[in-house]
Amino acid sequence: MGFRSYVIKRLVYALIVLYVILTLNFVLFRVMPGDPTKMIIDPNFTPEAKAELRSQYGLDDPPLKQYVTYMGNLLKFDMGLSFSTRRPVWSELKERLPNTIKLFLCTFILTSLTGMRLGVKAAANPGSFTDRVVITAGLFTHAVPTFFIQLLMLLLFGYYWPILPIHGTMSAPPPAGGWNIFLDRLWHLVLPVTSNMIVGFGSWALYARNTMTEALGQDYIITARAKGISEKDVLYHHALRSVLPPIVTLLFMSLPGMVSGAVITESIFSWHGVGRYLLDATLQMDYPAAQGAFYLIALAVVISNLLADIAYGLVDPRIRVGAGGAK
Amino acid sequence: MALVEVRDLKMYYRTLRGHVKAVDSVSFDIERGKAVGIAGESGCGKSSMAISILRLLPRNGEYHGGSVVMNGQDILKMPEEQFRKDVRWKQISMIFQGAMNALNPVHRVGDQIVEAILEHEDVSHEEAVSRTKDLFDLVGINPNRFGEYPHEFSGGMKQRAVIAMALACHPDLIIADEPTTALDVMVQAQILKAIGELREELNLSMMLITHDLSVIAQTCDSVVIMYAGKVAEYGSVMDVYVNPTHPYAMGLVKSFPNIHAERSPVRSLPGFPPNLIAPPTGCRFHPRCPLADEECMTVEPPLREVSRKKHYVACHKAEIVEQGVDIWAQ
Repeated sequence: MGFRSYVIKRLVYALIVLYVILTLNFVLFRVMPGDPTKMIIDPNFTPEAKAELRSQYGLDDPPLKQYVTYMGNLLKFDMGLSFSTRRPVWSELKERLPNTIKLFLCTFILTSLTGMRLGVKAAANPGSFTDRVVITAGLFTHAVPTFFIQLLMLLLFGYYWPILPIHGTMSAPPPAGGWNIFLDRLWHLVLPVTSNMIVGFGSWALYARNTMTEALGQDYIITARAKGISEKDVLYHHALRSVLPPIVTLLFMSLPGMVSGAVITESIFSWHGVGRYLLDATLQMDYPAAQGAFYLIALAVVISNLLADIAYGLVDPRIRVGAGGAK
Repeated sequence: MALVEVRDLKMYYRTLRGHVKAVDSVSFDIERGKAVGIAGESGCGKSSMAISILRLLPRNGEYHGGSVVMNGQDILKMPEEQFRKDVRWKQISMIFQGAMNALNPVHRVGDQIVEAILEHEDVSHEEAVSRTKDLFDLVGINPNRFGEYPHEFSGGMKQRAVIAMALACHPDLIIADEPTTALDVMVQAQILKAIGELREELNLSMMLITHDLSVIAQTCDSVVIMYAGKVAEYGSVMDVYVNPTHPYAMGLVKSFPNIHAERSPVRSLPGFPPNLIAPPTGCRFHPRCPLADEECMTVEPPLREVSRKKHYVACHKAEIVEQGVDIWAQ
């Protein structure tokens, strides 16, 4: 009982959700307007040739059989061949995934940490100069569309002061030496990550500030102060610690949104990642590729929700009890 | 000399519409080993006074004069850091309304007490833990529950834990702010009994804030009746309860049914507490007072000793009230 049964319960929920999403993913592509075969079958083919091709792709099977094949193949990470490149979708995704994860982790960690640090600082001194600057700047950049800031940064650092790389994940040809390659890749991360930070820190700062302001008004904060605890400990050990559960949840809940946000960032900075792959696949009506990318994103969403639940249970003792007894 | 002498204490809240005079020229003493009860309606400045003494003012709170002298030192003038280390919890601790939110929900109850000990005393963690377990025992909580979280405690147990916490650093004075308000009467009685026994055992001074006059009668030696940020009446519990001399105090005492007296309908005080941004001129109670006249509306009554020693009243008409006339009879 206790934490383990809680985790198992969450895991089962996650699997159910994943199953539903995958089913929807299957249905959605089949009720969408447009005929996928148009992309691969030349309209000038004879009806016999068309039918032959359709059966090769399994498109003439009854829907239920298609569904079973689809599920079975997904379990083996077999997402079929891309219509446009005729390569297995999974191997195409696999080579882009590390780039997306890299971009995404840097953005995620830097944005949330910066935002929260500023938010806590603002909450500790409400009405101060720091507070007003953080809130105003955070609200402003949050309200501006991501792509606008990113295009602006492209213009600034690609055209007026061309000091930063504006596209790709690395220089071509790459510099020699392992260390130089690492630095080169890092250097390419600067613009995409900072632009996301500028857009994203505001919501973190505001959220941290609001939850912290609320926590600082709680009775137990007065207790802590009355006990003679130093202000720093009151702020971090008592206030921040007590609002950690919702913040941790939000951290993990924001993961999926950032995955899809990658679509825009990756397109603007020509980043060789899953997001741009999804965009290209959709524009080219490359159904297997789009389906594969959707599958990955759905997987990311479900896993991050699962992690959110587990983390929540770890940081909030009250949740563990909800799962059936403290011990 | 009294352990704590509060003199002319003024603490106002800054608001957009002006200063809220929550504590306005309040004076009283707390003797060593004695308990003082502070009573009054909601919003009369009781809790504001508690946080003024512990210097826990919210951002918009300001001192506007007065002093709180403890052990010969004005603790309001002390540097903040020294006050935090030497006075808070070591000399003055506080019992909060534990049933509510006084314990941090994400920390173990025991750890929250250990934290207070470690902050003020140079002892090892193990020693702080064993002292905390002793405290648990003292207030009647099984020491095995050291590692539990506040939500695993009942309301009464939380209140006991909060009391244990207040005792952690052997303070001279404990301020108890509505320690039993959120508890049902049975638990309330247990807690009050526990507080009374601990006070006797440890020779503690206490300042008990409550709106419940019967709680004060049960636990305190003297009582301060506050009205609109000011002291209306101050004296021994016996004097004030038997011979309430301020019309407000008399109204308060009369509004409590007496189990030994003849049956009579419980009366309430007509009217509402005044707005403390612009309190009434003269005596602040005059709009609600049946005896109010011209003088009451213009001249503020000073706190003065009436016929009994150490029984102070701030009322121009104290002599009339003293004769025992039931001024609240219609």
